[in-house]
Amino acid sequence: MSPESARRAEAAGYTKVKVFHDGLPAWKKAGNLVVSEPAALKELMDKDIAHVLIDLRDAKDAEKGFIPGAVSITSKDLSAEKDRFPGDKSAPVILYADKLDEEAFRTVRGWGYGNTSLLNGSIAAWTKNGSKAEKGKLATAISYVPKPRPGEIAIEEFKAIAEKGSPDKIILDVREADEAMNGMIRGATNIPESTIKNRLKELPKDKEIITHCATGIRAENVFEELKEAGFKTRFLNAVIQVDKDGKYEITKK
Amino acid sequence: MVIKRLRLFVVSSVLAMVLLGTAGLSFAEKPTVLAPCKQCHQPEKDLVRGTLVSVSEKFKTINVQVGQKLVWIINYGEDLKITGADKLLSISKDKEIGIRFTGDEKKPYAVSLAVKPPAKVAPDKLVTAEEMSRLMAMGPEKGGYLLVDSRPKPRFNESHIPHAVSLDNTKFDELKDKILPKEKDKLIIFYCGGVT
Repeated sequence: MSPESARRAEAAGYTKVKVFHDGLPAWKKAGNLVVSEPAALKELMDKDIAHVLIDLRDAKDAEKGFIPGAVSITSKDLSAEKDRFPGDKSAPVILYADKLDEEAFRTVRGWGYGNTSLLNGSIAAWTKNGSKAEKGKLATAISYVPKPRPGEIAIEEFKAIAEKGSPDKIILDVREADEAMNGMIRGATNIPESTIKNRLKELPKDKEIITHCATGIRAENVFEELKEAGFKTRFLNAVIQVDKDGKYEITKK
Repeated sequence: MVIKRLRLFVVSSVLAMVLLGTAGLSFAEKPTVLAPCKQCHQPEKDLVRGTLVSVSEKFKTINVQVGQKLVWIINYGEDLKITGADKLLSISKDKEIGIRFTGDEKKPYAVSLAVKPPAKVAPDKLVTAEEMSRLMAMGPEKGGYLLVDSRPKPRFNESHIPHAVSLDNTKFDELKDKILPKEKDKLIIFYCGGVT
């Protein structure tokens, strides 16, 4: 995506265009500071997706107005509170304070929580985004019970469909054509995510459409798109690799 | 009588030729380039750029889509030169391809076919991870740059590099005037998400 954007910017007359090609995955992996937007936190809440939200401010400040569901652990105490965090290191952890608290981020990220982020703009951005703050006592215990995302298919069920087929289900591979070229699940159909809007006609309304990509992200996008268009659909939320013979390997995220 | 018939024949043939001629002319205006390809490629008379619809081994034709209902049907033979794929049949449907051909629009014959390579970035345009960290720490004002996240907006919301702004690559043309700076010589750094 980024090299193409860079080309387009050059075509629009920009003369100093560069690309950070390693991109966000490498940036995150190296433990660098990552921020998230209130809209994403709102979505986690609306979709009831498990997450850890920490208010780093002093309790008496936090009590005047905090984001619903936030747990109070002050920046000062944070480094001693490792044991209160969930065992699952893939948990989305969102931190907020009065400022971009880089140190708090590094502490939690340093414990191995790869999906840690600082909330961009903190509580001010949250309320500005139209969401409500709560007043009173904050929770002090972290409760993290991961649930499948809405529309997620169990890996075992996906495997069964991929092995034996199913009369009322189809597997839709939404990777780009050049990725699918290197191997597809037998019997699957390839319609890249980037072209799905114009190709809905090719899909049956009387069958359930199970989408997959390489990591689950594009599969979920297409799932949303299909649901909106009135299709029966679910998606594979996992890392999947397919080789030339149609053999595949699925790993949980 | 015979002469009259002959004259009629001549007149009608001329008329037919004129008609065919104009038909041929309008045919010659058939676009050779699919709209998105025009961002980087100029239209050329003997080069069709579009997405692969199908290959028929039986009829020895390659069908290339260049518009909503516009498909080129191009003949090929054993002498077709292919770059970017090992053989014709391994190119997947919808892949962006370019075909140089001889002959006219009515009966094009493919000389060479190229599959669009993955986007490459010239080394001098690459920003390293260290440079990125340094620029991030400096901030966009002091560093004199704009950092642009090319991924879809929901991905940006979930996590992004501090100070980045969102400009979804698929909505580039629609949003660029709102997001990109007025100064054309400002340093703009794009990044995205690699594998998704």
